[in-house]
Amino acid sequence: MQAGLNHYLIVGGLLFCLGLFGVIARRNLLVVYMGLELMLNAANLVLVAFSRFNNNLNGQVMVFFVITVAAAEVAVGLALIVALYRKRRTAHVEDLASLKL
Amino acid sequence: MNYSLLQVELLVALLGLGVLLADLWLPPRHRRALGLAAAAGLMLVFIVGIRGAVDTYAGAAEYAFGAPKARTGMYVLDNLAVFFKQFFLLAGILVLLMSVEYSDRIGSGVSEFFALVIFALLGMLFAASANDLVLLFASLELVTITFVVLNSYQRGRAASIEAGVKYLIMGALASAFMVFGIALVFGSANTTNFSEIHAAQKQLAGNPVFLVGLAMLLGGLLFKIAAVPFQMWAPDVYQGSPAPATAFLAVGSKAAGIVLLLRVLFGAVPQITAQWSHLLVWIAALTILYGSLCAIPQRSLKRLMGYSSIANAGYLLLGFASLRAEGVNGVLYYLAGYLFTVLAAFAVVCVVLRHTDSDDLSALAGLGQRSPLLAGALALAMASLAGIPPLAGFLGKFLLLKSIVPNGAYDPGYYCLLGVAVFGVVVSLYYYFGVIRAVYWGGQASDLSPIATSWPVRIALAVCIAGIFWLGLFPDNLLSLTGPAAGVFGKLATPASWPANAH
Repeated sequence: MQAGLNHYLIVGGLLFCLGLFGVIARRNLLVVYMGLELMLNAANLVLVAFSRFNNNLNGQVMVFFVITVAAAEVAVGLALIVALYRKRRTAHVEDLASLKL
Repeated sequence: MNYSLLQVELLVALLGLGVLLADLWLPPRHRRALGLAAAAGLMLVFIVGIRGAVDTYAGAAEYAFGAPKARTGMYVLDNLAVFFKQFFLLAGILVLLMSVEYSDRIGSGVSEFFALVIFALLGMLFAASANDLVLLFASLELVTITFVVLNSYQRGRAASIEAGVKYLIMGALASAFMVFGIALVFGSANTTNFSEIHAAQKQLAGNPVFLVGLAMLLGGLLFKIAAVPFQMWAPDVYQGSPAPATAFLAVGSKAAGIVLLLRVLFGAVPQITAQWSHLLVWIAALTILYGSLCAIPQRSLKRLMGYSSIANAGYLLLGFASLRAEGVNGVLYYLAGYLFTVLAAFAVVCVVLRHTDSDDLSALAGLGQRSPLLAGALALAMASLAGIPPLAGFLGKFLLLKSIVPNGAYDPGYYCLLGVAVFGVVVSLYYYFGVIRAVYWGGQASDLSPIATSWPVRIALAVCIAGIFWLGLFPDNLLSLTGPAAGVFGKLATPASWPANAH
């Protein structure tokens, strides 16, 4: 069987939902961050699949932008999580509760 | 390609790099001067660059990064773009003046703080001209990532880091939704260009993949303006971030979201927007209610501004829900008033934080005696936010409310929205006047020593106060700018259920 556009879209959608689940359900900031990266890569997969099946290279160019931005986001994000860990000795979502009413 | 179209962005990018380079050779004690020089540089860009840009496009829209003469470029320079470029540059100048005042609280890396403000400004300037989903994404991410750094800039304060992490996670989540939405829109429309999507919107309106993609894209943009249901981050981030970063977040980042929403909703898919008018009405009503009601018990001034910013996002959405050029006009006018008002409030917060190290309302006690200028500016800003005539906030709210009234004849939901908005205004009187009460009648203050203000802050405050009165008393000057800017979308579409002559 040849893999068609729908197969790629289903995989992309599943990856996206998996990433979202990770963001919502996991408590460790690093794992949450991995979930976010998974969501971005799901979008990349969908972009590339559409690009391939619509014969339009613009989608693949967009993927380069997404990858670059994701790299910048990871650089900033990991630095920030390290700074948080140094300050608070924790990287858990529940401990981010000092800013409350 | 005609590079003079991008001259404002190019000049600002050079200025940002220049600030970073100058830091290498400048002795540390001149850091404040560097911030002032950067503000002066932006002033120069404001005068020279905007004039040059206006000369280049001369009334009609000009496109860049596209097929020549096709009028579908990635980058567009029109009245709306120039209006927002002026808006962002002005906000950038005032925020830099504030950052200079705040610089001794920032600690290390003051010059980088100035540079990051300029780079965030660059992202906003590109957002003002985005005519393509790729530029929309790139400019928005430039803004988001620089703001993550700006928000967490005081590494020694746990609150600042926490604000940064929250903005990072929520912002990245919104971006992920946005990118997936862009992928679906690209897949169904086979283009990312707004002009081409506009040409194909009739066929796309029935395509579920396109509609899902568009909804996810809008989710990412609603996050930027802090509208329900993507508003959770705003109060925490506003409270924890350094005051100048919060000020820029409240004004610049929100306006960048607004201009992109305008470009997508009215520039790319006006007919689908018209079919979604109920959704816009609901989001606007819930945002106003949430922001207004949650602001009531707040004791921290910065957190209060966070909820106030949510409520204000709701008022801005009234202009979108109206589906009229008058509504867009109201959005632009309201944003201009919001710029002066919010920056005045945050300039005061910057100075007060420096002297009392607390942004609690009780720390404002005795401010009326300690510094009449700061107290007066804060009271004026709060009165303008509450919508007291003859200040800027009043006319903006009036224009927005007026724009949705005629729609009530076709859809009674608009009368309910009007009721909610008026209720929000009444509630907001309570909490804005709570701040004024804390300033003038806040009980006994332990410390009544006068607060000295440096001249950059005094300039910023003078500009803001003048702006608040100018927009309130002489609206014609600004309306002559917002009118053509709101007119770039032409006649907006109305829902199919409304009579054909609804506008």
